[in-house]
Amino acid sequence: MKLSGLPVGRDLFHPEVIADPYSCFGHLRDTDPVQWNARFGLWLVTGYDEVVWILRHHELFSSAVIRQGAGPLYPPVDPDDLHLFDGIRDFRAAQLVEQDRPDHLHQRSVVHGYFTPKAMEEWRPFVRAAVDELLDRVRPRGEMDVLTDLAAPLPVRIIAEMMGVPYADRDRLRAMADGILYINRGEPHRLRPLARAVREIVEYAAPLVEERIGRGGSDFISVLTEGEESGVFTRHQVLVNTGLLLFAGHETTMNLICNGLLAFIRHPEQWERLRADPAGMARTATEECLRYDPPVKSTQRIAAADVELAGRTIARGDRIRWIMAAANRDPRVFTDPDTFDIGRQPNPHLSFGSGIHYCLGATLARIEGQEVFRGLAERFERFELAGGPPEYQPSLQFRSVKSLPVRWPL
Amino acid sequence: MNDTSFASRDSSPDESPPLHIEVDHLRCVGNAMCLELAPGVFAHNHWRQSEVVDPEGDNLEDILEAAGNCPTSAISVSDAATGKVLFP
Repeated sequence: MKLSGLPVGRDLFHPEVIADPYSCFGHLRDTDPVQWNARFGLWLVTGYDEVVWILRHHELFSSAVIRQGAGPLYPPVDPDDLHLFDGIRDFRAAQLVEQDRPDHLHQRSVVHGYFTPKAMEEWRPFVRAAVDELLDRVRPRGEMDVLTDLAAPLPVRIIAEMMGVPYADRDRLRAMADGILYINRGEPHRLRPLARAVREIVEYAAPLVEERIGRGGSDFISVLTEGEESGVFTRHQVLVNTGLLLFAGHETTMNLICNGLLAFIRHPEQWERLRADPAGMARTATEECLRYDPPVKSTQRIAAADVELAGRTIARGDRIRWIMAAANRDPRVFTDPDTFDIGRQPNPHLSFGSGIHYCLGATLARIEGQEVFRGLAERFERFELAGGPPEYQPSLQFRSVKSLPVRWPL
Repeated sequence: MNDTSFASRDSSPDESPPLHIEVDHLRCVGNAMCLELAPGVFAHNHWRQSEVVDPEGDNLEDILEAAGNCPTSAISVSDAATGKVLFP
């Protein structure tokens, strides 16, 4: 209970908040669901209904957070690195996720069809085969780091296939993705790896894009180049959104797998429930993993108008961060919200957002989660942590373990 | 009360069957692609979830396109007379 009241009102990167966002943001949700945080100069929105309302009113809350660049970088970066920010801003501001209507609609319409539930379902056999291969390789060892042996290689494999690039490039893809993951982290030196990754992604993607122009291919980069040919995307936007796929499809899936398996380790009765019917339970179990310890803790917007919300006045230009980690456990919506219940239905969690920016890769992430948890439950009797409690990356946006060593009886 | 459903009574002039279209509000996230693809059929309610306002407001092809592009598969389409499922 010492967390209530907390360093929270002040430091969002406090080690206790990084380790356990649920106690402090849950307390905020229950006492002050729309609160001004003076230290970082932004609104924290933690209530379910309030978050949904924001997400569904895109005309009031702009996604062009980086482009508008309101306020200083938080937490502060090394002043010597500030010159690096321009290149990073040019990269991030051109991403689909940073666009507002009408541009967002035109751009999303180009890529939306690639990710329909039906189209993604056709990837399930490929995902399952990739999961089987990874798990069969690691099983005889009796131990693994879930992050490096399963959660990281799986999405790289799938993204490489979707981008139509050789799996042999996986180490390079991993390295670029690792650099991009410094977005919204807290390290003072974070602009350096980020700027390097941005440069490398553009260099890597440039020839891939060039060779696809006019070819009419079926991979995701070809979908983007068709968008360039039809005048919706600039070349810069094509390169940047190639990078976005690499990034967005990587970190989030890693976190789903690690956070989900950790929840199962801490709730052995739910693991037994999944083991009793892996194929039957995989779907609702994945949704509950997404709700209970979401891959993305928080996302941001900038108010495009003065807005009244929960008795507060948000002024045009104000920064807003909503915490889905808190909204997903709102007792007004979820029964026993702090309970990990893999049969929970309905489960209208906000882990993929809502509204016009609803996660483009949601169906793919679901399929990856379902196949991983099913594959694990079919093969492994039980897991135990091989280290202490996991440590988390100092990120406001992502709920990312630094490593997750586990073992199992052979 | 979580579903909206409307069945049309008359066959439409382009020989599409009368359709029964539903939006599952436990799934609908207000992504609004259906409003773009079949604007005659779908509109947002106060919570910005899709509602069927006119099951004959667009042709079958556009309606199925809207259903297929729903990121949460919240839209189902069937033949109102026979009950045959047209989507999913």
